[in-house]
Amino acid sequence: MSTAAFTHPSSYRDPSGFIFEKEGVLYRQVNKIFKEDFDSFIQSGLYEHLVEKGLLISHQVVPGNLTGSPDHYLTLLPEKIAFISYAYEWSSAMFRDAALLTLQLVKEAVSFGLILKDATPYNIQWYKGKLTFIDSLSFEKYNETEPWIAYRQFCESFLGPLLLMHYSKMPLQQLQLAYPDGIPLAIIKSLLPKRSRFSLYTYLHIHLHAGIAAKKNNAAKNKAAFSKHKLLNLVNSLESLVKQLKLPQLQSAWSEYYEEAAQRDDYLEGKRAVINNWVNQLNDIKTVVDLGANEGKFSELLAAKNIDITAVDADPLCIDNLYRKIKSSGIKKIQPLIIDLAHPSPSIGVNNEERDSFSKRCKADLTLALALIHHLAIGKNIPFEKIAGFFSKIGPMLIIEFIPRQDNKIQMMLNSKKDIYAGYNEQNFLAAFEKNFTIIERKEINTTNRILFLMKKKL
Amino acid sequence: MIHYLLYVDPGSGSYLVQLIVAGVLGVAMFFKNIKLYIKSLFHRSPKKPKDNPPA
Repeated sequence: MSTAAFTHPSSYRDPSGFIFEKEGVLYRQVNKIFKEDFDSFIQSGLYEHLVEKGLLISHQVVPGNLTGSPDHYLTLLPEKIAFISYAYEWSSAMFRDAALLTLQLVKEAVSFGLILKDATPYNIQWYKGKLTFIDSLSFEKYNETEPWIAYRQFCESFLGPLLLMHYSKMPLQQLQLAYPDGIPLAIIKSLLPKRSRFSLYTYLHIHLHAGIAAKKNNAAKNKAAFSKHKLLNLVNSLESLVKQLKLPQLQSAWSEYYEEAAQRDDYLEGKRAVINNWVNQLNDIKTVVDLGANEGKFSELLAAKNIDITAVDADPLCIDNLYRKIKSSGIKKIQPLIIDLAHPSPSIGVNNEERDSFSKRCKADLTLALALIHHLAIGKNIPFEKIAGFFSKIGPMLIIEFIPRQDNKIQMMLNSKKDIYAGYNEQNFLAAFEKNFTIIERKEINTTNRILFLMKKKL
Repeated sequence: MIHYLLYVDPGSGSYLVQLIVAGVLGVAMFFKNIKLYIKSLFHRSPKKPKDNPPA
């Protein structure tokens, strides 16, 4: 049955509604149980206010019950997200902005008589050049006598990972892969240094919180009333703590790459000219994935052509710098992500279906792999065939740069490891790639011995 | 043990924590406001002559 509606595998937690796919389009169903809350979300003007401010993606109400479910109240068609990403792929500055967005939503909602009922980074996606909230079923009526229901979730999903990055000065995005529902308070507390207790807000929100949460049966007995004033104090204290954290900015191996590369003849200019020329010749390039994007110099070149780009790199600092640049310059077409192609994000969650692996999500009309092949083939010992196989699943076109053995970058790499790479040459590279691709053009970059290839996937 | 029943229960312990945290923050705010008020007394006085044109 081609017209069947399939519930999205990540959409089972919340009884208010769910995401489903029908004929390749993603919809959101609002269930009857959530009717009153959803109506007040719309009627209070909060929805319109958040969309206007660019904090929430917009949706259209679609007539009819597409799922045939008896719980159906409304069907929504949300704006399409170009490339789904997850918090463990975001740089620390991106993650901090996601935390601040969540707190801002609580305050905005409260001023309209509603509240944000969950605080998870999975409700946030990259949309039109920034992190934007996507779950329109996360707002419910606010009862001023109740505290914030998602407080614990915020501390475990956002505050904890940020504090760990602040105190260790290490990019710890990967920790969230191990704890996708948030790092338990007891673990955060045990990993934080003792001196973190001397920060009042860290003490209150983590140390004290973990201590009290560990004790049993104290929840139901204490029903003293909360107030709006108290809630805002709580949210403001979280906000001020998150804002003042100093997140890792390591001097990484590649952060000076372009400055150095720029000094090498007119290598970058030559490369830029060839790529520019090829992309102009190709029609219908709407999406690009730039693998090994570094700080995104070539992504920027394509962004100017109104193409949606996903710029990925294994170096958290490069991606962090790219994000800061995108944020300050207002480039809307590039989404930066931390991905190590030797260990791309796996599929996780219930039945391994909730969050797709990077390989499954990574689809684009054109793949850019510039100055990357030697890092995979020599740096990580990945055979050319495996690399070609992965690239061929991304999309129809590929621009790839081959770095020959005698290149001094490769010589530098070989200085520190045993040379077991006798097979690393252009002939073997082409033999492996020609199994999946047709070579359309080969172009040496002026004054260097590096070579660019334009390839098309074999059908 | 840690239980994740977010749609049922605000997380055992988090209710009490929020009451305590809000209480502490209330006290902290009270003193902060006093501090700001005292500061404002000292900051306001030098400004006053500027508001009035010198005679």
